[in-house]
Amino acid sequence: MGRSSSTKDAQALFHSLRSAYAATPVNLKIIDLYVGFAVFTALIQVVYMAIVGSFPFNSFLSGVLSCVGTAVLAVCLRIQVNKENKEFKDLPPERAFADFVLCNLVLHLVIMNFLG
Amino acid sequence: MGKLWVIFVASISIILPFLCNSFSPETPTDRRVLVLLDDFAIKSSHSLYFNSLKSRGFDLDFKLADDPKIALQRYGQYLYDALILFCPSIERFGGSIDLAAIINFVDSGHDLIIAADANASDLIREVATECGVEFDEDPSAMVIDHTSYAVSATEGDHTLIAGDDFIKSDVILGSKKIDAPVLFQGIGHSLNPSNSLVLKVLSASPAAYSANPKSKLSTPPSLTGSAISFVSIVQARNNARILITGSLSMFSNGFFRSHVQKAGSPTKHEKSGNEQFLTELSKWAFHERGHLKAVNVKHHKVGETDEPALYRINDDLEYSVEIYEWSGTSWEPYVADDVQVQFYMMSPYVLKTLLNNKKGLYSISFKVPDVYGVFQFKVEYQKLGYTSLSLSKQIPVRPYRHNEYERFIPTAYPYYGAAFSMMAGFFIFSFVHLYSK
Repeated sequence: MGRSSSTKDAQALFHSLRSAYAATPVNLKIIDLYVGFAVFTALIQVVYMAIVGSFPFNSFLSGVLSCVGTAVLAVCLRIQVNKENKEFKDLPPERAFADFVLCNLVLHLVIMNFLG
Repeated sequence: MGKLWVIFVASISIILPFLCNSFSPETPTDRRVLVLLDDFAIKSSHSLYFNSLKSRGFDLDFKLADDPKIALQRYGQYLYDALILFCPSIERFGGSIDLAAIINFVDSGHDLIIAADANASDLIREVATECGVEFDEDPSAMVIDHTSYAVSATEGDHTLIAGDDFIKSDVILGSKKIDAPVLFQGIGHSLNPSNSLVLKVLSASPAAYSANPKSKLSTPPSLTGSAISFVSIVQARNNARILITGSLSMFSNGFFRSHVQKAGSPTKHEKSGNEQFLTELSKWAFHERGHLKAVNVKHHKVGETDEPALYRINDDLEYSVEIYEWSGTSWEPYVADDVQVQFYMMSPYVLKTLLNNKKGLYSISFKVPDVYGVFQFKVEYQKLGYTSLSLSKQIPVRPYRHNEYERFIPTAYPYYGAAFSMMAGFFIFSFVHLYSK
C-alpha cells in the first residue's frame, strides 16, 4: 500500500519535473548537456583510475580537474545568462560569456602544464 | 770521513728493523713487549709461556716491577707495543709507570695482559677495575670448587680447579677445540655489568665460590657460581686488547706440563689445556688473530666504473669493500656472510647483506630509494672477538631533473584524451551557445 503510493508519488514528481524542465530555454538546455558531458567524462576517469592504479597521478588529477573545472565554469555561465535570475539582471549575457571564455582559457593553460 | 759514513749506514741498518717492527696499521701485531715481574724466578718458572711468545717473533723485555728505570714512553714515543703484568704483589711500580700511565698506554691502542693472584696488591686491583673487572675484595680469598676441582694425590682444599667452561668463539680461542680442562688456582673476579666490552673467556662452574680456604666460612661468599670469571678479555673501542686472569700460576711450566683429571670425570688427560688455551688467547690479545681491515671502498652505477659525485633517486648502484684479517704474518681474505651495508640518512633506508667472493671482496648492488637527500654508505661490523669495522662514506642523492620524468605514458592516454576532449567541447559549445538563437 505504502510502497505503491510512494512509487506513484515519485512518478508524479518526475512528471512535474519534466514538464517544468520542458519550459527551460534552449540555450540553458545546451549548457546542461555540456555540464552532463563534463561530469560523465570525469566519472569515466575515476573508474579508470580505480582499475589501473594511480601511477601518473598528475595526469589523472589534471584530466579530472579539467572536467570538473569545465563543469563548474559552465554552471556559473548558466547562472548568469538565466533570464529568471534577478541577481544578474544588470549583467549582459555577452559579458557573462566573455568571462566564461577567459576563465576557460586560464583553466586549460594550467591543465596543459600539469598534464605531464 | 768514509769510515764515519760506513758506521752511520751500519748503525741505521741495525736500528731500522727495530723501528719498522713496531705496531702499525699495516702490521698490527705487537712486537716489543715489556714484561714486569715480581722477581726474576718467574722468568724461568714460566719459561714455556715466554718461549712460545718469543718463537712467534715477540721481543720480550723482562724488568722487575720496582725497577726505578722502567718507563713505557720516552720523548712522547711508546717504547713498547704491549705490557705483561706478572707482578701480582707490586704496591708501587718503579720508574715513571703508574696506574694513569698504564691506562694511557691502553687508551693509545696498546695491549695488556694482567695476571693477579691471591693477595693481589691494591695497585693491580685498581688496574683491573679500570678495565671493568672486580677482583674479590677479600685479599686472602681464592676460588674453591668442590665439584670440578682437579684430582690430585692429596685431597687438598679444592682450590686447584679444572675449568672447561670456555667462551664459544673460534676467533678468540682458535679453531682447534681445547679438550683438556684448564688448571686454575687463584683469585676470582666478576665483571662490571655496566661494561659491555668485557667478556668472560673461562668461567667457573655453578658450584664454585670465592672464600678464604683456610678459615671457616661464616658469612655467605660475595662471589658465587658462574658469576665468577677465571679469565676475562676486553677489547676497547680503540681495538686495544686486554687479558685479565686471577691466577699467575696458570701460566707456569708446572701447570703447562701437569696432567689433569677433573673430579667426577673418568678421562685423565696427559697434559692440561693451559698451554693451548693461553697460547691461543695471547695470539688473540696480541692481534695475531681477529684483526680486520677494510680497504678499497668503492661504489658506482651498475654498468659504470667511475665513482659519481652524486646519485639520482632510483639509480641502480654497486657497492664494494675489501675486508682482510691479519693472520700474524700477512693479510688474509676475511670470509663471512654477515657483513651488512646501510644506505643511511637518519635511519637506514636500505640494509643489505654483502655477498663475498671468498677472496675478501664484498659487494652488493641495490636501488637508491625514492628519497633524495644526503645519504651515507655505512658498514658497522661488530663481531665477537674481531676488531670493529666502522666505515661511512657520504653521498648526496638528487631528485629527477624536470626533463628526466617519463612523458607520454600509455596508461595516461585516457587522461590526455579527457583534457583534450574538454578543450574541443569548450570550442564546440562556444559556437553552439553563440549561434543557437
